[in-house]
Amino acid sequence: MKAILTDTTKCIGCRECVIACKKTYNLEEEVPRRWSSDDGLSSRNWTSIIQKPEGKFIRKQCRHCLQPACVSACPVGALRKTSEGAVIYDSKKCIGCRYCMMACPYGIPRYDWDQPVPYVRKCILCYDRITQGKQPACTEACPTEATIFGDRQELLGEAHRRLKETPDKYIDRVWGEKEVGGTQVLYISDIDLSCLTYGRPLGEKPLPTRTATAMNAVPYTFVGMSATMAGISWIIGRRMKIQEKPGDDQREDNDE
Amino acid sequence: MNRIYTFKTILWTILGFGAAVGTARFIYGLGVTTNLSDSVPWGLWIGFDVMGGVALAAGGFILTATVYIFRLEKFHGIVRPAVLTAFLGYIAVAVGLLFDLGLPWNIWHMIIFWNPHSPLFEVGWCVMLYLTVLLLEFFPIPAEEFSKLNKLRNFLLKLRLPLVIAGIALSTLHQSSLGSLFLIMPYNVHPLWYSPILPVLFFISAITLGLMMVSFESKFTSWLYRRETETDLLAKLCSAARWVFLIYIIVRFGDLAFRGQLGHLGGGEWQVVMFWVEIAITALIPVILLSIPKIRIAPVWQWIIPMMSIFGIVLNRINVGGLVHINRGNTLYLPSLTEITISASVVAGAALVFLYMVERYKIWEKRPADPNTDPTKIPEFDFASRTSLGTPEVALRTKYSLAFILAAAVGFALLSTENLSSAGTESSPAKEARGWETMWIDGDLDGEGTAFPHAKHIDNNGKEKSCVLCHHMNLPLDNSSQCSACHRDMYLLSDAFGHDRHASASGAGLKCFDCHKKDLTKNADTAKPCKDCHGDLVAEGSTITVENYRTIGYVESMHRLCIGCHSQKADSLEKPDLPRCANCHKEKRTIISPDAGVHPHQYGAEKDNVIFPIVSYNSEQPPDTTNTGSAVENSR
Amino acid sequence: MQAWIEFGQGPLFRLCFVLMILGLIRIFILTIIGMVEALNRNTDKIVPYRDLIQKTLMWLFPIKHLWTKRPFYGLISVLFHVGLLIVPLFLAAHVLMWKNSVGFAWFSIPRGLADWLTIIVIVTGIVLFLMRASSKAGRALSRKQDYIWPLLLVVPFITGYICSNSAIGPAAYQLMMMVHVYSANLIMLMIPFTKIAHCILVPLSQLVTAISWKFPAGAGDMVIETLGYKEYPTWVKKPRLETPVELKVKEEINAE
Repeated sequence: MKAILTDTTKCIGCRECVIACKKTYNLEEEVPRRWSSDDGLSSRNWTSIIQKPEGKFIRKQCRHCLQPACVSACPVGALRKTSEGAVIYDSKKCIGCRYCMMACPYGIPRYDWDQPVPYVRKCILCYDRITQGKQPACTEACPTEATIFGDRQELLGEAHRRLKETPDKYIDRVWGEKEVGGTQVLYISDIDLSCLTYGRPLGEKPLPTRTATAMNAVPYTFVGMSATMAGISWIIGRRMKIQEKPGDDQREDNDE
Repeated sequence: MNRIYTFKTILWTILGFGAAVGTARFIYGLGVTTNLSDSVPWGLWIGFDVMGGVALAAGGFILTATVYIFRLEKFHGIVRPAVLTAFLGYIAVAVGLLFDLGLPWNIWHMIIFWNPHSPLFEVGWCVMLYLTVLLLEFFPIPAEEFSKLNKLRNFLLKLRLPLVIAGIALSTLHQSSLGSLFLIMPYNVHPLWYSPILPVLFFISAITLGLMMVSFESKFTSWLYRRETETDLLAKLCSAARWVFLIYIIVRFGDLAFRGQLGHLGGGEWQVVMFWVEIAITALIPVILLSIPKIRIAPVWQWIIPMMSIFGIVLNRINVGGLVHINRGNTLYLPSLTEITISASVVAGAALVFLYMVERYKIWEKRPADPNTDPTKIPEFDFASRTSLGTPEVALRTKYSLAFILAAAVGFALLSTENLSSAGTESSPAKEARGWETMWIDGDLDGEGTAFPHAKHIDNNGKEKSCVLCHHMNLPLDNSSQCSACHRDMYLLSDAFGHDRHASASGAGLKCFDCHKKDLTKNADTAKPCKDCHGDLVAEGSTITVENYRTIGYVESMHRLCIGCHSQKADSLEKPDLPRCANCHKEKRTIISPDAGVHPHQYGAEKDNVIFPIVSYNSEQPPDTTNTGSAVENSR
Repeated sequence: MQAWIEFGQGPLFRLCFVLMILGLIRIFILTIIGMVEALNRNTDKIVPYRDLIQKTLMWLFPIKHLWTKRPFYGLISVLFHVGLLIVPLFLAAHVLMWKNSVGFAWFSIPRGLADWLTIIVIVTGIVLFLMRASSKAGRALSRKQDYIWPLLLVVPFITGYICSNSAIGPAAYQLMMMVHVYSANLIMLMIPFTKIAHCILVPLSQLVTAISWKFPAGAGDMVIETLGYKEYPTWVKKPRLETPVELKVKEEINAE
């Protein structure tokens, strides 16, 4: 499992990561549009730098959850979690329902609203690069090593090591370690990162488990409901037959 | 006035508007025809058309259960219309979904690409299967008219009980699964609505909605066709619905209590008000009213109560579907007129098919007649052309189709230019003009441009003083910036400001409060005006005023600038030819005067009036890769 | 006045253009439905499709036919139609208008050719009007719209020509432009509801005639004999059934 660790105290807001991402994927220039949101992400910006007061910067990108809500939500399996951990998108399968955008707790996937043939767009952890053994374009471009790429366990260790070494510098928390079951894009920071979840605190329970209960009940509901209805029908039919006097054919139901 | 004629004309008109908007939606995309955005990806089409539509069509499975499973024969008379409504309702849902899906031609992918973890996958499959079941349940009705289909019809009638049972089971599944869709968004849906038992709540409310819809539809059609109303039956339906309402109220509040959310109910947020309105008109008021027997059989209340409750539950679906989602990024979503038009026209289409079916086939015991189609009616004459409109049937066909095309044309006329051009047009960056004495203006580098006598314009308009006539705004440290520096796209709006560039450390490195005032909303209106820092940004004496930081497209800015000035001059100089298109766009729009600062192509050197292919494109501007702020960046 | 011109080129143009397209489609479909119904009512359901197609094609390209019978009229009529179709669609200024309003364009004809075609349309239009008004048979067959149409069609051509060629004052120019735009819109608005609908109904006209000829059984026979033909023209297939009425009529004719 690969991961990215972003240390916001090291980020200088130079946007080299944003530029590297746009170059790698030939993303077009951004035009402010009605449907753009103010965090800088869009179908043409897969990562962005959010500026906070006092010269603090937070890089926003797909979190590549360990149990992604978008993957479990997609009705056609256009989104997929690979063994490396990247959540990738297959535009050939997509039907454009935008359920993934609704399901994502971080509000990451963005849409080509201005296209007649629109697709969902988001960071794919440079899947083709990491399978070739390279690191993602953004971490490679970072001049201050504010955002680094590596194995998730190692990076978690590194994060905790930094927290332990200079506890004054950081808030004592690794964002992404446990939220919604853990994510592969981790943050350590000296400022509160709740802006990445629109100020909503996320629980530790993975989101797909919430639907799993309902989805597991589906076959039982189907069989149960069918059996109940068949049973009721049989009982009522029988009762009616007993009540009927012989020779009374009025009940014959053939008008439909 | 004939009710049916008026009603059908209205429906055809709505359908016409829908056709116009629908065409625009498929040509230009979702962005300009809806108010959806990255923060609000689902809107009215999912909330009303799909979730509301499925719930509204619940009457089908409830009445088939009542009649064929519970054998309550007295309801037999209203089974057929209920099944028909359900059938058309589900088709309307499918059609509405096609508008909402970004890639509707891929909808069949659900059949081959499976993701059984997704509630939407389950809903999709159940709806597909249930549509088939409904088709098989409904098919025997029109088949009565064709003796050839007797065998098939009898076979389907034998299958009826299994079909009914399958229909009930499938309906149970997807009515509730529509609620499961939102289980994955605990942080989005407002806590008054989000609940682990959303599927159960959806199922119960679907039952009440089904019952209410059947009574409403029966009331409405009996008004429309001046039919006898089944008052007794409706009263019985309503008294049954009372109990379901009661269960719904108990479960809803019980769930809130169990989750410890009752405290929310006293709050003053608009969502709380919405909750009370919703639950009051959905269930609380109907329960109270329906427990009074006199009201139950009163015709007026038989109108009001179903309508109130239907509105309430549809509101519930819209609420859960997106309205009461805790806002991401402070964008308020209100459906656009175009979205409402599409929803209305999908309903109108279903209603027209319904009316056709009840007139054509035996849906009720007594087939209602449209007085317009009475064969003994005297043929009508058209006042305008003084010609016969033919038999009543032909006359109606003529009128309805006329209403449809008129509405479609008016719809197209009313679509704003933003609906029609700003999306669907791909971004095409404008390139700067080249040359000085004669400029070669060809923003999209397609080889066809305009030769602009730059030096001549300067001479004619007062030498140095004339610069500001065109170069109305300049980049910092510049006094004649290229048009394409700000008007960066051929057709689309561009951002001339570049917030990120100003804010980032490598750019201007400004802090928020360098421009925005504290304690005020941070937006363009409350920010410091540009000229406070950039004194020389807007050229002194410029005739063109700058209104905001969004610049119009390159082509439009050229046209406005040139045509505007030329038509003024045409008046004063008595030179009427000046503002004409052909004045700049000469034959093939490619004439270059000999002194143009452009190297003609080697093959075209000797001829006049030929297209000069671009030999090379020479630009000092580095290819812009960052998203915004290049306007400022270029100057550095 | 500029605002009025822009309104005429924008929303009003869209209204008239869409109404023209949809109106023509509507009248085409209504005609076909009417024909199918008429055919169902007929006892004689034989339609000589091959001959009809031949005849339709002959009337679509009527040069040969008109050349042999009314050469001057044929020439004038063909010239008028050619100019009428080509100039509005392929004039460079119009193509530019399409490109700016809907974003796509096609080839344009040279200015010189456009000017000549415009003059031809103006002249032939007036000649057509005069021919109709001067001939006795023409007057007897004409309705009001038959006189109005050639003149109305010429209006946008005259104003367009003035706008693009001669030097007139700016105020007069705008007035001309306004007349140009609004008369063109009026024409588009009226096309589907008047005889100009023949631009889409031409392929059906022979079929309509053929079907309506045989409304009552044997009607075709009666018409043919009334017209003085000895037998059926080659392109009409003889109906197989002879009804009692037909036989009676034949007997009567034979008796005479």
